Amino acid sequence: MLSLTIFLPVVGLLLCWALPAKHARAINVVTNVAVLVLVLMVWGGMQGMETLQHVEKADWIPAVGIQWHIAVDGLSLSLLLLTAFVSLTAAIASWGIEKNPRGYHMLFLLLLTGMLGVFVAMDLFLFYVFWEIMLLPMYFLIGMWGGPRRQYASIKFFLYTLAGSVLLLAGLILVRMGANTWSIPEIVAMAKSGQSILPEGVNPSLVFVAMFIGFAVKVPTFPFHTWLPDAHVEAPTPISMILAGVLLKMGGYGLMRIAYPFFPEAAAGWSTAIAIISVIAIVYGAFVALAQTDFKKMIAYSSVSHMGFVTLGLAAGTAEAINGAMYMMLAHGTISAMLFMIVGVIYDRAHHRDIDRFGGLAWAMPKYFLLASFAFFASLGLPGLSGFIAEMTTFIGTFKSDSQRWAAWASLAGIVMTAAYYLITLQKVYLGKTPAVYQDKSHYPDLSKREAAVLVPLALVTLWMGIWPATAMNLYAYFTTNLESLLKAATVGLGS
Amino acid sequence: MPDLGPLVPSILLTVAALAVLLTDLLGRGRRPVVPAVLAIAGFVTAGLVAWGQAPDTAVVFGVLRADAFGLAMTVFCCLVGALTVVATMRGEAFRTPGGEYLLLILAAVLGMIILSMSVDLVTLYLAFETVSIPSYVLVGMRRSDLKANEASMKYVLFGAVSSAAMLYGLSLLVGLVGSTSLDALSVAMTNGIGAQPIFWVACVLMAAGFAFKISAVPFHFWAPDVYAGAPAAVGGFLAVASKAAGFAALIRVVAAVVPGQVAQATGAGWLPDGPFLLQVVGVLAILSMTFGNAAALRQTEIKRLLAWSSIAHAGYILLAITVWSDSTLAGLVLYLVAYLFMNLAAFAIAGMVIRRQGSGEMSAFRGLARRNVWLAVALAIVMFSLTGLPPFFGFVGKLQLFYGVFAKGYIALGVLGLLNGVVSLYYYMRVVTAMFPFSEQEGEEAATAWRLPLADKLLSAGLVAPVVLFGLFWSPLWEWAKAVTESVIGG
Repeated sequence: MLSLTIFLPVVGLLLCWALPAKHARAINVVTNVAVLVLVLMVWGGMQGMETLQHVEKADWIPAVGIQWHIAVDGLSLSLLLLTAFVSLTAAIASWGIEKNPRGYHMLFLLLLTGMLGVFVAMDLFLFYVFWEIMLLPMYFLIGMWGGPRRQYASIKFFLYTLAGSVLLLAGLILVRMGANTWSIPEIVAMAKSGQSILPEGVNPSLVFVAMFIGFAVKVPTFPFHTWLPDAHVEAPTPISMILAGVLLKMGGYGLMRIAYPFFPEAAAGWSTAIAIISVIAIVYGAFVALAQTDFKKMIAYSSVSHMGFVTLGLAAGTAEAINGAMYMMLAHGTISAMLFMIVGVIYDRAHHRDIDRFGGLAWAMPKYFLLASFAFFASLGLPGLSGFIAEMTTFIGTFKSDSQRWAAWASLAGIVMTAAYYLITLQKVYLGKTPAVYQDKSHYPDLSKREAAVLVPLALVTLWMGIWPATAMNLYAYFTTNLESLLKAATVGLGS
Repeated sequence: MPDLGPLVPSILLTVAALAVLLTDLLGRGRRPVVPAVLAIAGFVTAGLVAWGQAPDTAVVFGVLRADAFGLAMTVFCCLVGALTVVATMRGEAFRTPGGEYLLLILAAVLGMIILSMSVDLVTLYLAFETVSIPSYVLVGMRRSDLKANEASMKYVLFGAVSSAAMLYGLSLLVGLVGSTSLDALSVAMTNGIGAQPIFWVACVLMAAGFAFKISAVPFHFWAPDVYAGAPAAVGGFLAVASKAAGFAALIRVVAAVVPGQVAQATGAGWLPDGPFLLQVVGVLAILSMTFGNAAALRQTEIKRLLAWSSIAHAGYILLAITVWSDSTLAGLVLYLVAYLFMNLAAFAIAGMVIRRQGSGEMSAFRGLARRNVWLAVALAIVMFSLTGLPPFFGFVGKLQLFYGVFAKGYIALGVLGLLNGVVSLYYYMRVVTAMFPFSEQEGEEAATAWRLPLADKLLSAGLVAPVVLFGLFWSPLWEWAKAVTESVIGG
């Protein structure tokens, strides 16, 4: 069933190719619905969350021991759900793409296959292949359907992520050599039992750093984040949604699934450094967001700031902090998708994104205003919405950590600035006197049904995740305690 | 009378060359279709015979060894020869003296086969020249084309100087050993001639000759001009077959000079502590991949870009020789096969575009996706594969090659090589961004659709399909590569 889920988009892709171009968008949406249904069925078929289930294993490249090995546990499942859901909303948001729709939707579906594959691959090589396959459609989607500086943004995105991937690849090769297997669960088990997973004489600390950088480029963690504002600003709205909603989560997932469990000692050893760059990301990202006049760029920097909590939670290493980090990935996935859609909606009408040139939109487009302020408050951490839970849990967890308590205090500045830039933007764009141009309903209609169909489901999930976090947290609760005990043992090992 | 079995492929090619000459004489003035078919038939039968032949480590006439490696290189070069002829059947190289053109390709491949089998320094040198001389002529065949003339002249001058240097190196070596046989050389190595300064001089001089043939920095200056001046398919032929044969000969010499495996890397893992020849090769490798990629960044003409890229790829391949282990050599063979399909495809598709646009500048590729989306997609796949992105063949070759490099502990060297791949992304993507609408400037000239002739369709599909297929399933190919290189490194 998992294979079917992964390859269903490929079937959709072939249909897009075979049928007339005008059907492509419908095929894309239908395929996304089907994928979401399949992921929900996978969820329904799971017994407990801790073990790997729906395992599919077959020899792929027997000569070097590479297997087609896919499976899900709670950690994978929560991100699969996010992927399928955000991708569906992005597919609906793509309905209005007019330039070469066939090519667009084919690449979109290829991207979906890559994303789903990354979260279920349990073979290091397979993981890497999916990780890289995604780059190709993303490169074309930004480069061909993006804004005026798309050529620059797309190659920058490609170069940054490939540089990260290459370091990751070097790390994976070394692990394969030491552990003599490509299987992720087997390597994790070896690392847990204290066996060496690297060839003799290779410093695990350096390999961890290589892998960390590889994943950190995707997260993106300061100072590897500079590709993100460019890519986001130039990408078409639905692709920005996917980029922020799903792609960034792959970095965090890679850290949690691979880098941390493989090298807990090295991770514990670097935790202060990671906490420092996380705090910089949170605070600096927020300050830079505050300084933006481009609406979309502001949202992009807010992503940098929020994703800092993911690495911060991992650096703190307590179960609560890791829980918060994971929750941040899920919460940010839906909220940032909303935010980019909100920018997209106004850009479609005004054809610019300059925050200072808006004003008074609230009365012209009340439904839009309602959802926009909902997303803003969710992102700045209003209690009752998912962003709050994520930040709060990470904070509590970080306070509990003896070594990184300072980081919790330091990142408070980021929270304050986050509130500042959202409130200021809210005021500048939506409040104040409504200029006459916005009264023109033919140019500034309120949300269309299609736009509402993108935003409302995202908002509902955000609300639900804010009221009842247990739904999502129960999926991966086991993982946070496991990783905590692994890191604790590693820290003790470091001290002795 | 020794067994002539191992020589059958070479004999077949010679027969084919004579037949081409004869039929071309009879059918003067017409398009040389019959000779072309004969040449392809010659390549195919020679390749098939070599494929079916049982490897034999015995030395024939004291100079040739048709072991698994030699036979594999024979198949390889015959395949490139056949594909080159197919690729040029529509091109202008074929319209000028077509018969001579075929004859030269056949002669060059014959030289390559002998080169990759030779275990004697004199035969090696003769085969080397048998490859070089037809190549000079191939480049300069378009007599009215000034660029081709210039390229050919450069090629001859560089070739003459470097093969003179090589010959001098070989003569020093023969003086030291007292025999021209590589087996005698390897015996002499165990007696400690490796410590003599004169041996180091011989190594450097020899390396110059090989570096010229495989266009490694700093003996690469001819390559961009030659590839750009020659017809695209000839460029592809030189970039693939000629280089591969150079690598094969270098491997033969290194196998004689280096006893068994090289020790695990110590320290940071840049260059081997071991044999001097390998250190020289290592320096060439680092220079080639770094400068090749750096210079390629500035190219705007497709054949020049591919020339610099092929210099960088020579660097990656030389890494495998530097580290010198079973697994890097098998990786090298796999890489060469990947390199064959990627480069022949790139040059063939570039040739199709150049034939229609009259230029290989990036502007000629603009809007290719509108003219013929399949051709654009095919070339994009090749570019991704050359960069080393999964799931394409180029990635697999790189993975296996670098796996061997890492396995020997040369981590710094491996990471440098991989980061070079990132640099190369930039210029390969320049081709992709030109073909697809990444920027707005087009539209003033409504791109007309191109209908490709069936032969072009088949050729591009046939060259790109392996790039995709072997990128997804390469298990048997890897087993084959390991088997082929098993006997090269002594115990």
